[in-house]
Amino acid sequence: MGTIAFSNVSKVYRGPKDVRALDDVSLTVGEGEFVALLGPSGCGKSTLLNLLAGFESVSEGTLLFDGQPVDRPGPDRGVVFQEAALFPWLNVWENVVFGPRVQGLARSDYEEPARKLLKQVGLSSFSDALPVQLSGGMRQRVGIARVLTMNPRALLMDEPFGALDAQTRLSMQQLLLDVWQSLGTTVLFVTHDIDEAILLSDRICVMSARPGRIVRTIPIDLPRPRSIASLVSPEFTAYKARIMADIKVAEPH
Amino acid sequence: MSTSTDRIGDEPSAKRGSAASPARMSLAAGRGVRQAAIAVLLPLAVIILWQAAGHGGSLFGGVLPTPDRVWKAWVVWAFGPSGGFNAYSGTWLSNLVFSAERVVKGFACAILVGVPVGVMIGWNRVVSGAFDPTVQLLRPIPITAWLPFSIAIFGIQDVGAIFLIALGAFYPIVVNSAQGARDVERNLIRAALMMGASRWTVLRRVVLPASLPAIFTGLRIGLGIAWTAVIVAEMIAVKSGLGYVLWDAYYVGRMDVVIADMISIGVLGLVSDRIIILIEGWVLTWRRLQSFQG
Repeated sequence: MGTIAFSNVSKVYRGPKDVRALDDVSLTVGEGEFVALLGPSGCGKSTLLNLLAGFESVSEGTLLFDGQPVDRPGPDRGVVFQEAALFPWLNVWENVVFGPRVQGLARSDYEEPARKLLKQVGLSSFSDALPVQLSGGMRQRVGIARVLTMNPRALLMDEPFGALDAQTRLSMQQLLLDVWQSLGTTVLFVTHDIDEAILLSDRICVMSARPGRIVRTIPIDLPRPRSIASLVSPEFTAYKARIMADIKVAEPH
Repeated sequence: MSTSTDRIGDEPSAKRGSAASPARMSLAAGRGVRQAAIAVLLPLAVIILWQAAGHGGSLFGGVLPTPDRVWKAWVVWAFGPSGGFNAYSGTWLSNLVFSAERVVKGFACAILVGVPVGVMIGWNRVVSGAFDPTVQLLRPIPITAWLPFSIAIFGIQDVGAIFLIALGAFYPIVVNSAQGARDVERNLIRAALMMGASRWTVLRRVVLPASLPAIFTGLRIGLGIAWTAVIVAEMIAVKSGLGYVLWDAYYVGRMDVVIADMISIGVLGLVSDRIIILIEGWVLTWRRLQSFQG
């Protein structure tokens, strides 16, 4: 459950001059695996995520989720957006239960789990607050809680902490580690932050730009459970040095 | 007000800072009084100059009555006994109600048709292709040009006036609603689809609320046009209301009533606009808080 398979996938945006955003990408992600896509902006890592989310369609190649071709968005693949993308007219609670509500689930089936999730992300006392009254980090917690209420088989996260200040980012990374270690959902995580990729993932796919390709795959064998304390371990530093060297290699010139 | 600090700290334990302390309230009230005082300066100056420029109660050789005569005419028009020599005496309120009722009916029709059609044009390419060109084609025809058509079809009747009002208010409502629906943030729609919402649910629960700020802009412009339309329609196509009195009073040379009528229309337009703003503030609390954040 939650397996992802990109086989020779390309994405071309048609226009006066065709833009090849992804070129011949193959990537498989196993059940419960945490994979980070690392690369500079414009390398197509978000496109990769959008294809899997079903927001955009593949131009060439095949993309399977749990053995089925992806053709539309759905609650089995929960997406966490960079700017949270909460509905500004709904309060925290209404945002969190939006998924089960529009799917027509019985109240008794989702209210209790949703309350627990809200507690887990530390927002129990903010049920009635509107998104605009929250800080960026809190908004992103709501964004995470609202996809978890749907019990997705995979979490697709598109630079979810990229817009946060350094301190908030650390606490969000810790929160994500805690949540993921208790759920074991498959995660595809897009980032341009090397530290973040090493800290969170089992495997890092380093991407290059124009056209977007996966140029290196680096397994991260840091012991689990991890915490933000891992950021200062010697093993961590060794990984970081290696990846920085790889990224130099990945540059076009 | 961009310095307001309603934002909550990232600490989940931090309680929301309650927005308005008594001190801030009285400060705001003081500012309100000062603003109101500044606001009446210009109209007051105009009235004083206008009064001072008059000779024997009028300007321009007897054409334009001075404010005191307009005031007296309005008092008779509003509170005078009916059925005497003065045909206008005591009829102000009933005429005002006639006009307001037509505006309410016509405006309601415009909303009922304009908002759904506009949102659908903005949301759906097929609907847009089917409706938008026709709307754009008809839009440049001013409502005054529809008058003969309206009278020919509906006669000298209320329906004709309501038709013109609805038509006039329809265009800004439909155009702004369409714009609002077109401009909905893409990720909000994606988020809803990702959470399992159908296209219809997305339309109802994401596109419509997200378009509301633009829709309200359309409503305010539409309401202004509705007042223009009701006056035009009443001057020609019906025999009651502020527009009818306006033209009638002009014909019999009662410029004092004409001006009292004009001011009545202005005040009514202002009040109805304020009502829309009040409703908007109530419906779009989230939006108001957003602009507070700057």
